[in-house]
Amino acid sequence: MIRRLNLLSLTVGIVTGAAMAAVGVTAARGPAPDWVFLAVLGGLTVLASNRSVAFRDDAVFSADSMLVMASVVAFRPSGALLGPVLVGMCAGLDIAQFRERAWQKVLFNCGQYGLGALAAALVFWVAPASALSSAPWLILMALAGAVAFSVTTIVMLAVVLSLTTGERFRSVLGTLWRMHIEGLPFALLGVFLGRLYLDVGLVVVPLFVTPILVAREAFASYLALKRSHGDTVRILIGALEAKDPYTAGHAERVAMFTHYIGLELGLSAKGLERLRLAALMHDVGKLVVPNHLLNKPGRLTEEEFARVQMHEEVSVEILSRIDFLAPVAPSALSEHTRFKPVADAKGQPIEPHIVAVADAFDAMTSTRSYRKALPQAIAFLELRENAGKQFHPRVVDALIVAIERRDERYGEGHEADIHDFGVEPPDAGLGSAGLGDLLHDEVPDSSEATQS
Amino acid sequence: MRPTIRALVTAVVVVVPPVVIGITRGVGSPGFVLATLAGGIVVGELLELCPPVRAAIPLSYAVVLVLLRAASVQEFVITVAAAELVAAVLRDAPGVVVRVECLARRLVAIGAALGVYSAIASVGSSDNETVMLAALAGAGLVEFAVDEVAGEIGRWHLDLSGHGRSAQLALVTSGMLMAVGYGGLGGRGGMGLWGPALFSVPLLAAWYSFARLAVIRRTYTQTLRALSIVPELGGLVRPGHGARVADVSTEMGRELGLEPHEIEYLQAASLLHHIGHVCLDDPEVLGRPIEASEVARASAEMLRQAEFLAPAADLLSPDPLPFGGAPRSTTSTAGQVLRVASAFDELSEGGDERLARGAVEALYSGPGYVYDPRVLAALERVLERVPRVDGRVAVT
Repeated sequence: MIRRLNLLSLTVGIVTGAAMAAVGVTAARGPAPDWVFLAVLGGLTVLASNRSVAFRDDAVFSADSMLVMASVVAFRPSGALLGPVLVGMCAGLDIAQFRERAWQKVLFNCGQYGLGALAAALVFWVAPASALSSAPWLILMALAGAVAFSVTTIVMLAVVLSLTTGERFRSVLGTLWRMHIEGLPFALLGVFLGRLYLDVGLVVVPLFVTPILVAREAFASYLALKRSHGDTVRILIGALEAKDPYTAGHAERVAMFTHYIGLELGLSAKGLERLRLAALMHDVGKLVVPNHLLNKPGRLTEEEFARVQMHEEVSVEILSRIDFLAPVAPSALSEHTRFKPVADAKGQPIEPHIVAVADAFDAMTSTRSYRKALPQAIAFLELRENAGKQFHPRVVDALIVAIERRDERYGEGHEADIHDFGVEPPDAGLGSAGLGDLLHDEVPDSSEATQS
Repeated sequence: MRPTIRALVTAVVVVVPPVVIGITRGVGSPGFVLATLAGGIVVGELLELCPPVRAAIPLSYAVVLVLLRAASVQEFVITVAAAELVAAVLRDAPGVVVRVECLARRLVAIGAALGVYSAIASVGSSDNETVMLAALAGAGLVEFAVDEVAGEIGRWHLDLSGHGRSAQLALVTSGMLMAVGYGGLGGRGGMGLWGPALFSVPLLAAWYSFARLAVIRRTYTQTLRALSIVPELGGLVRPGHGARVADVSTEMGRELGLEPHEIEYLQAASLLHHIGHVCLDDPEVLGRPIEASEVARASAEMLRQAEFLAPAADLLSPDPLPFGGAPRSTTSTAGQVLRVASAFDELSEGGDERLARGAVEALYSGPGYVYDPRVLAALERVLERVPRVDGRVAVT
């Protein structure tokens, strides 16, 4: 541990020292940069690195590296290497880290980006100045410069990350490299921004920055609205769980299983998102079922059963009012999700079947008011036996393969949250709201219903 | 036309002419530039920037600025006319009338832009940076102004405020950047078609973000509306209550000058103000009827679980106002609006004008509750102003 810490400090020291040396040498030997432009670009870079928005979960919209590339080109004709180095260092100024007083991080980041910018600038330095004026050449140079920038920063960052997290150096390197590849178009854009600045001056900066800021704001409101939509769906799940404590975590688990199956079947990102929402909301109709029926241990009368069963139609009614979910609305209807072997294997969307299988699997492997959780092996067996009858065979295979590959266990003895039962549930039997699971066929016959 | 076929036809129409001209006359020829920019206009017509509160605007307005910089007046007119005609055919619009209307609107807006550009550019030499920038900016702004006025003719709905104009700003600045990238400024620079091609990236990023925003906005609103009918489907509330209360309270909120975010919370709270009812036990089981305050408390509790909806939950005050007392100052205006709108809907039973008038009177002289007179006055103004269809406020 102590050796690790020492190594870490040593790395940070080396990087910082090298960056300092770079500043010193370029300031002493090279010409001075245009300070006004340097200040504008540096300020924008600080802004960009502190207000970045994740465009996807793994790819960061890297406006700061774009501005660094712009500085590399813009300072090329004057030969002021100090310019890109200083702009690069601005990209390391993270205000949050200042607040935490994480000086080591700040020093390292500044040094890292400064040296990366220097590496990119040197690529442009060795190329003839005339290469700047032809677009195809500029694209080539932009790629080379971006690679130099990325390689320099990534290697330094990977050393530090593998020292702090203990992960293997090469795997860290691989992850970082993929993130940088996604940022390449922006590096290209930065190079052309620098070129345009050389032609027409500072006026390009507001013209360039305004649409990017607008895009950023719109994307931020998209993310905020997406969060509030998620919140709304969570409200509904919370209400369902409050009504029927046995189903705690059910919606989330079904969503997870549908995600497994969706990945296995190669659904698109949009399809997966649709599936996730449909899975989370598939039981929404249960909200209209009175509490005492949902939690009734033992058998329901025929009338009560009909009342409970009505929830499926309510679910469909609600889901079909949301355009995004309308195509998968039949997920909530157990009749519709029954697999029909011959008639219409084609043309019928597969999503409802995915939700049906995931729902049944989770119902079997979790404890309900009417029955304890079954072991995973039995649940698999049950799914396999009914594949092609009740369930879509491809979907059943996908789920089993996905769970076995992940080496995960569900069911008896592996339940996430063990319920505190006032009354111990029976080992098996027909009860209330687990409709859609394996006890599907056992509709209570009227003779028993009248007795109870 | 099916979307895939439309995309295919568009690709052919946009790609083939520049390729043919590029091969026969060379990529340096003016015909190649014009054909490529015409393709840009067609694509830009089909990609619209959809800001939340404003009408959608086509990206082609940015390409037009490049064309102004690149073409003579004659070339400009021919290129725009050809591109807009093609776009009118390919457009995803119902019926010929809408297509023609849209085509006319675009041509008028772009024509006005051409006029303004020529007028400003004629003031100084073409090498004068300021004149060139002013001409481009003027042309871009005029495009939007004319488009907006033309789009609202006969509707009298023109919103002249600055609210929600960021998309237009992004489009004008992008168009100027693309034009400067094409032809340079003050006689210096200019990268030809590489410029507009590369500098359209920020604009496309904006387009993508607004498109995602529009989709999630729609889904979010529809989810709230769908959840609002849950108590109705359970037979706990009269059908349509949530939606009607939301419509009336939104109009009242606007009438009272509430902020946009307050109206958003008011809308969410109105839609979901009965949702808590579904968590309560049946009156049969309880052996007593359920009180309105219980429902409000349960609903508020549910909404409070969502961080974002907590302000909406605060609008659902569970305590009834004291008998004959003054309205509590602690209840916010939005909370009062919700209460009045909900009581109004319950009294008027979503019925015709006579029932509505009776309901308002009952609210003024209500035995149990006292409502804020300012809020009641807003309700009356809304009822006078907005036509009612089937007991619902016809919301535009």
